[in-house]
Amino acid sequence: MEPVNLFDLATRQSQWLAVRQTAIAGNIANVNTPGYLARDVEPFEKVLDRTGMMLGSTQPGHMGFGATEASFRTQAQEYNGALLPSKNTVVVENELMKAGEVRRAFEMNTAIVKAFHGMLLSVSKG
Amino acid sequence: MLGPVGALRLTPALTSETSATSLSQSGTTAGASFADALAKAASSSVGKLENAEALSVEALKGNADTRQVVDAVMSAQQTLQAAVAIRDKIVSAYLEVSRMSI
Amino acid sequence: MDALTATLRIAASGLGAQSERLRVVSENLANAQSTGNFPGADPYQRKTVTFVSELDRVSGGSLVDVGAIDRDPSAFRLEFEPGNIAADENGYVKLPNVNVLIEMADMTEANRSYEANLQVIRQARDLISMTIDLMRTP
Repeated sequence: MEPVNLFDLATRQSQWLAVRQTAIAGNIANVNTPGYLARDVEPFEKVLDRTGMMLGSTQPGHMGFGATEASFRTQAQEYNGALLPSKNTVVVENELMKAGEVRRAFEMNTAIVKAFHGMLLSVSKG
Repeated sequence: MLGPVGALRLTPALTSETSATSLSQSGTTAGASFADALAKAASSSVGKLENAEALSVEALKGNADTRQVVDAVMSAQQTLQAAVAIRDKIVSAYLEVSRMSI
Repeated sequence: MDALTATLRIAASGLGAQSERLRVVSENLANAQSTGNFPGADPYQRKTVTFVSELDRVSGGSLVDVGAIDRDPSAFRLEFEPGNIAADENGYVKLPNVNVLIEMADMTEANRSYEANLQVIRQARDLISMTIDLMRTP
């Protein structure tokens, strides 16, 4: 296993978290849309396995955001609950819970980056 | 009777102190033990940094206990801060000595 | 457009759609007793809202929009009130097919969805703030 750059990994995870947040927003916005299936991103471990630590690997047909070339697959999730007549599969409580997870992971991510960045700065100071 | 080795021996209760205090203890005996103390402080600092980095990578992948990561990073920040302070003191001491008129 | 800005667009479209739904509900409630003004006339007909999702070209996320405002085709209520100007030859007046209880439940549901969208906006705004904060030296 080659050594992994902490800052690169943190950037990668924060991009993945942002895409997940977008998928959650789409689900909540479409909570009453007939026929809408709830979507989510693929797990972060799968992204790492698929693309390694390299930033900038693109695959056609995936949702990409902004100037970065990192793309993450989102897909409709399997639904095992009782199906509504409108065929909508969004459960608002689950979406809000996922949003909470995203927030916690994001806070950890920025805190780690801030701490190591601060350490680097303190070493080069004076 | 304090020998160079005796100055560096830390009881288990004191192992959690920072490298700065361990250095001040060994400062009572001058000479070769100071270099040993510095080396020990530096290596413990590197060890804590490596541990903090490894735990942070696990946390970014989503597999770590929050409190453990926070403790490891704080500990690394503490030892790094102490090591940088020592380095700065050594540099300024050297400059002061080099400015002394012969 | 970066993902967090896209989130704000999507959640804003959700707010807009739920507000539109609330507007239709309040229109139904306000007109729950509105009859026609000539004998045998049809009264106010209940309106319903249908949402559609659309793929946002700019951001790649799923926006939501009000697809159509339809009329509820269910039957009007009949009440015996011969003095009313809308009463037919038998004295029956057609009243709107609005059920106040259903409208109130719809309103509660719309409020809940509106709140959830608002939560998403607050969180996206906080995440953006946290990211920018990284640059600030302590």
